[in-house]
Amino acid sequence: MTGYTEKIREIAARLLTEGKVDRVIGFRKGTVPMMNQPHYVTSPAMAGELIWDSHCGLNLANYVTDRKERIGIVAKGCDSRNLVTHIIENKIKRDQLVIIGVPCTGMVDRSKVCALVEGEITSVEESDDAITVSGNGFSKTIAKTDVLRENCAVCTHRNPVIHDEMVGEPVAEQTGVDAYASVKKVEALSPEEKWNYFEDLISTCIRCYACRNACPLCYCPTCFVDESRPQWVGKSQDPIDVRTFHLLRAYHCAGRCTDCGACETACPMGIKVREFTKKLNKDCFELYGWEAGLTLDKRPPLDVYKTDDPDDFIR
Amino acid sequence: MKNLLEHTGIAPGRLHFSWISSAESTKFVDVVKKITEEVKALEPALNYAKTEPKVN
Amino acid sequence: MAENEPKILSFLCNWCSYGAADLAGVSRMEYPPNIRVIRIPCTGRMSPKFILAGLRRGADAVWVSG
Repeated sequence: MTGYTEKIREIAARLLTEGKVDRVIGFRKGTVPMMNQPHYVTSPAMAGELIWDSHCGLNLANYVTDRKERIGIVAKGCDSRNLVTHIIENKIKRDQLVIIGVPCTGMVDRSKVCALVEGEITSVEESDDAITVSGNGFSKTIAKTDVLRENCAVCTHRNPVIHDEMVGEPVAEQTGVDAYASVKKVEALSPEEKWNYFEDLISTCIRCYACRNACPLCYCPTCFVDESRPQWVGKSQDPIDVRTFHLLRAYHCAGRCTDCGACETACPMGIKVREFTKKLNKDCFELYGWEAGLTLDKRPPLDVYKTDDPDDFIR
Repeated sequence: MKNLLEHTGIAPGRLHFSWISSAESTKFVDVVKKITEEVKALEPALNYAKTEPKVN
Repeated sequence: MAENEPKILSFLCNWCSYGAADLAGVSRMEYPPNIRVIRIPCTGRMSPKFILAGLRRGADAVWVSG
């Protein structure tokens, strides 16, 4: 993982010099530790601005929708699955893209790291499986597995599913993880407990829509939250409006969500917004055997009608 | 696909789907009766209804 | 109100259930008055938005019929 940065820079510079792409989308160092910014470079000289470490949690597929130029894009496993989804949904053409695949061992959850230390973190060093954070008067080394984002901890598609370039050898996929453990826990509750669980979950939501903006699937020209005729969801902090927003957001992602975790990474309040989409992912997997973004050759289950589609819910 | 509603605790049995041909008026009446009975059996108070804010 | 009279918001497809409802009316069949019918051009017009908007505005249940 540590050598990826040089490799990404080298590939980006080469693609731009050869004129194969007009720009390369990647990450650059953020102004705050552990917060990398999406960034694009347009000339070989700028390639040195790109970096890669364990804080590239946002999903770069978000930035290719409806682009007309040729794009090189740095993509970890989940980003590549979202690129597949984009290609299926005609948001970008495959031949416009040069995908720089990055085998990924998971991204770090910033809030988990911050919870482990007292005081402000001012610098971060990283080795293969640990990170060392330090600030004013303290320094601490933490194993990466302890602070992985929750979606990364249960990820089973760490290697890019499509790529034109690769920056390293594919990493071993995780086995034996239960991707839907959190969903099962909620499923076991009674309706009232469920209601309260979600009431509690979203009680801190400030309706900033960071989850929507970070999501590569959310590319509607006018989002339903901004529509006023008819107004589907109120713009207030009313718990019902907040819940309606989260439910509809989740439904829009049904059968498309790759569980990339960008929504949770972007949430300033640390809300586990994946709890909503995760349930639909589980349903899609159980009803249709579908996981989004794994292949270009199959239409998503909600796109097509098959005579053997489950229909128990219809009387 | 509406499992999520029940998952988040919006009372199960409040969302129904059916398929009725335009010639099946008897089935229509049957289904209406059944659904009405089922919903009547539930509590009338529904936590999802939004109380409109008071305008002063 | 002595008895619980729920409001059931019903989305009926123009070509299927709406036709059936029409036929039921023409045939003078009796059915409970709790449903509030909205005709949609096709069940394909249905959207999760409609269901949530209905529940939010105080419907006790939603029924979608194709």
